[in-house]
Amino acid sequence: MAEKKEVYLGYTTDKALTPWYVEWLAALEQERIMKSVCTSCKAEYLPPRQHCQKCLSVTEFADFTETEAKLVSYVIVDFAPESLSSKAPYVVAIGEFPSGLRLTAHITNLMSLPEVGMALKLGFDRVDDKKVTYRWLV
Amino acid sequence: MGRKVAVVAGGHSKFGKRYDATMRELCAEAYKPIYDEGLTQDKIDASVLSYAASQFSGQGAGSALIADYIGLQDKPHMRVESACTTGTASLRAAWGLVSAGLYDVMLVLGVEQMNRVSSATATEYMSQAGDMRWEYPFGISFPAFYALMASRYMSDYNMDHEVLAKIAVKSHHYGAQNPKAHLPKEVSLEEANNAVPICRPLNLYDCSLITDGAAGVVIAAEERVKEFTDRPMWIRGIGAGASEMMIQDRPSLTSIPGAKRAGKAAFEMAGLGPEDINMAQVHDCFTIAELVAYEDLGFAEPGKGPELVENKEIYHDGRIPVNCDGGLKSKGHPLGATGVSMTYEILKQMRGEAENSSRQIKDVQYGLAHNVGQSGQFVNVFIFERGF
Ligand SMILES: CC(C)(COP(=O)(O)OP(=O)(O)OC[C@H]1O[C@@H](n2cnc3c(N)ncnc32)[C@H](O)[C@@H]1OP(=O)(O)O)[C@@H](O)C(=O)NCCC(=O)NCCS
Ligand SMILES: [Zn+2]
Repeated sequence: MAEKKEVYLGYTTDKALTPWYVEWLAALEQERIMKSVCTSCKAEYLPPRQHCQKCLSVTEFADFTETEAKLVSYVIVDFAPESLSSKAPYVVAIGEFPSGLRLTAHITNLMSLPEVGMALKLGFDRVDDKKVTYRWLV
Repeated sequence: MGRKVAVVAGGHSKFGKRYDATMRELCAEAYKPIYDEGLTQDKIDASVLSYAASQFSGQGAGSALIADYIGLQDKPHMRVESACTTGTASLRAAWGLVSAGLYDVMLVLGVEQMNRVSSATATEYMSQAGDMRWEYPFGISFPAFYALMASRYMSDYNMDHEVLAKIAVKSHHYGAQNPKAHLPKEVSLEEANNAVPICRPLNLYDCSLITDGAAGVVIAAEERVKEFTDRPMWIRGIGAGASEMMIQDRPSLTSIPGAKRAGKAAFEMAGLGPEDINMAQVHDCFTIAELVAYEDLGFAEPGKGPELVENKEIYHDGRIPVNCDGGLKSKGHPLGATGVSMTYEILKQMRGEAENSSRQIKDVQYGLAHNVGQSGQFVNVFIFERGF
């Protein structure tokens, strides 16, 4: 059962597991990202929401297939919150896909300073060699 | 729109790393000067006693503790919370109650005690105000949220970090002249521009301080104002705004949408415009936040904020003096106290009571306070008018 496991999103443990969220994380473990689509007005959300922000109807999951994005902005975190102190410095970036949907994640393979507008590719990472999370690659 | 309401007195604790005090003692320190002006407990009908985060002090339901400690145990009180706008949210709540006629005289106290934990722990607590599901797991601290704005601003407007460093130099210049300031020292441009990185592109001198402190004001309904002072400060305009929870969902990262809405609403209520304002206290939790505030409030066009900095228009003798008390940068930023501290400073400036003539702004008729919570999810803008 997924509920019993320690589940990672990003680089720290999230404890607020619900069946809906667990379903999303199960897909993530297979290196799949799911967006959500409103069953009523068809609005799309990434990251997903269980309820539509516009009409409050429930949404359903759909595979998110875009992988190429552009960097909207970035930060290099040198002084981190306590829970991530051991990972600093790390780079957080907001990326925008051609559809306009966005994700926030770490860039893990930078060799030089990031730049607004640069190309990003959605990828996956294993945290502590175990749990899957999503990340940006340049 | 209800009764007119004025600020009739203010008090302020020393800001800093206050290992000698906890929340209750800081509040007593802020209330004492108000008490000494004659606003003793028997004159106060009710109070709003607020702090932003109970993790810091470990005290739950703290307004009861504070009320009791300062001798208001038998008067109605409550706590209002909205992150770093807790102070002005408390003032807004109290204004509503007085304006509507429920009470005539109210005390508003804001306080935060942040230094009982390490900076890393404080950073952890504050990062938990980001979206716990989608932002927090990636370690986005508060400086990081504002660094995301800074990176984008610097790229869109081709701005050098030095502009931000100049804002820090200005803040420390004024903080050095404010005896209540947490870090009252001058800093050189070189030092401010080359300090240790915290969240690049932001460095140590782009960040506000982790501060313990309290500030308080008393407001009164128009019929009662004369009993307490002949130098009141009227609340002329109040605007509040909000922005998307996740920073990635903002239409722009070079402006805070909620701050624009709050500013517009406050100016409309006051029947005034940015050109009428003689001084501003803006929420410079990071230097980039101050720069963006100039533009969101209409003191500069989008992308033109750096010109105000380069031309020193934000100094006490400039076109629009900003944070001539040191701001959050040098005076300090005890979250829940900050909005009240801004109000206190405007009252002081209007009364010509700045401790040092080199930070006294001349002839303040209208002052503006701009208080932002989190990365813009909450914003309050107040416009005050000298009533004497
Ligand atoms: C930037 C920050 C992490 C620095 O904390 P720190 O590294 O633990 O700093 P310390 O308290 O150990 O102080 C180390 C030195 O730096 C100085 N210092 C600390 N913070 C400073 C700041 N923001 N600006 C300038 N100097 C600062 C201290 O005075 C001290 O100087 P000293 O060695 O001469 O005595 C911390 O100030 C911070 O997190 N600020 C932002 C607060 C925030 O996010 N507030 C909410 C905003 S919405
Ligand atoms: Zn819908």
